Amino acid sequence: MVSDSISAVPIPSAANTKNPGKKKRTNRSAKLKQYKIDARREQWLSQVSGAVKSKGCKDGVEDDIVRAPPPAVNHGKLSLEPLNTRREGEEDDGLVHHDSDSESPTNCPAGVLCGNDSGTNFTGSSSGGSSSSSSSSSGGCCSGNITEEEEEEEEGEDDDDGCLDDWEAMADALAADDKHENPCSDSPPVVLPREGSNLGSPNSKPESSRLVPWGSGSNRAWRADDAFRPQSLPNLSKQHSMPNPDRRCVGGVPWGRISTPSPCPICCEDLDLTDTNFLPCFCGFRLCLFCHKRILEEDGRCPGCRKPYECEPVETEASVHGGSLTLRLARSCSMIERS
Amino acid sequence: MQASKARLFKEYHEVQREKTVDPDIQLVCDESNIFKWTAFIKGPSETPYEGGVFQLAFSVPEQYPLQPPQVRFLTKIFHPNVHFKTGEICLDILKNAWSPAWTLQSVCRAIIALMAHPEPDSPLNCDSGNLLRSGDVRGYQSMARMYTRLAAMPKKG
Repeated sequence: MVSDSISAVPIPSAANTKNPGKKKRTNRSAKLKQYKIDARREQWLSQVSGAVKSKGCKDGVEDDIVRAPPPAVNHGKLSLEPLNTRREGEEDDGLVHHDSDSESPTNCPAGVLCGNDSGTNFTGSSSGGSSSSSSSSSGGCCSGNITEEEEEEEEGEDDDDGCLDDWEAMADALAADDKHENPCSDSPPVVLPREGSNLGSPNSKPESSRLVPWGSGSNRAWRADDAFRPQSLPNLSKQHSMPNPDRRCVGGVPWGRISTPSPCPICCEDLDLTDTNFLPCFCGFRLCLFCHKRILEEDGRCPGCRKPYECEPVETEASVHGGSLTLRLARSCSMIERS
Repeated sequence: MQASKARLFKEYHEVQREKTVDPDIQLVCDESNIFKWTAFIKGPSETPYEGGVFQLAFSVPEQYPLQPPQVRFLTKIFHPNVHFKTGEICLDILKNAWSPAWTLQSVCRAIIALMAHPEPDSPLNCDSGNLLRSGDVRGYQSMARMYTRLAAMPKKG
């Protein structure tokens, strides 16, 4: 599979790069983020094109659509071992593009732009190798990510800000595959980055950083328990599992149990939360605040024990001093009677 | 007003539900006025009122249950605490000892208890009170039993 893809990549990339360029112009306003990526890519390309020209790679620098050919050519010329990893990454990018394209048309510009380097490689190689490379897609993406991270840490910051969540999710999801890929991709990042793969990396970087997590994330990362899963997405399992027990345990039970079965014995209205916490008399007779006020206005005695209601401040002292309680009560009673 | 009505409606449902619970008390609400109730209570056993059924008239104030219902005997009864002519009842819980926690049903129970345990020291029926206060329990019982038969028992031929 790898060899097929390698052989297939350079040809279509050179042939099809013009179409993506047109598409890119039309779709440039699709996303601001994508626009930033494009701008950065152009910077890279301008730099690299100069470097490539100095190197004398003519075919890669052809005209306006500089970006795609150079990486492909450079990869082909520079080294074969890095190529393997790089090609894998490109393949997988292609697969990812398919996913993203099918998911949302807004990702098309990204797919086109990203496809500059390996262009229609995706259509050709992924059609043949989609089934097989899908299994290795995670590994390929990982290799790309690793190389890019190592290569351009300072450059990746902006992009990473945008897709930090995806990056982390990717890293978590692909942690196992990294270990497999690392031995292969350890050397190439060192070799490639400095020279040619500055071209390849900007191209593949946004893809892998931005698209791969989304494409592969739809398969892997966004599970119900995924922490990076967008909260705006409806999650049936969460909605059913999380809030209901809370409501039942916290809100539902006390209200249901306390309020409905215990109406105010005086007015037969259900006691609300304040009333249930209102204990005006030591005999434990509960009633609603409304009835309590009315009773205080009339004779001021507890309906349960017929003892006069104590004033609120006395309530605390009452348990301590029995004697002073009676005095105060008498006073309060007299006040009520006078009024 | 609303509170008293709600309370009375609840008591009405309680009465309907517990009709068979207390066979000595039959509380009936006036069909057109929930503030007018009628109760039929059986004279407690081992008293001169045994075998009689006494009719009580309840007049519930709008401030109920903060204020006690006005209750009087419609059936003639010879009792120290019941006015012989008006049927007025001298019962503390219907006056100053009233508690909003009480219900019409509990008032009926209290009246039954009063029939079994008269309080001759605060008489409304002075004749009856004097009999008891003078220690003539037998005279009191015979008089009470006579009036029970006369007024509170169904007349069979």
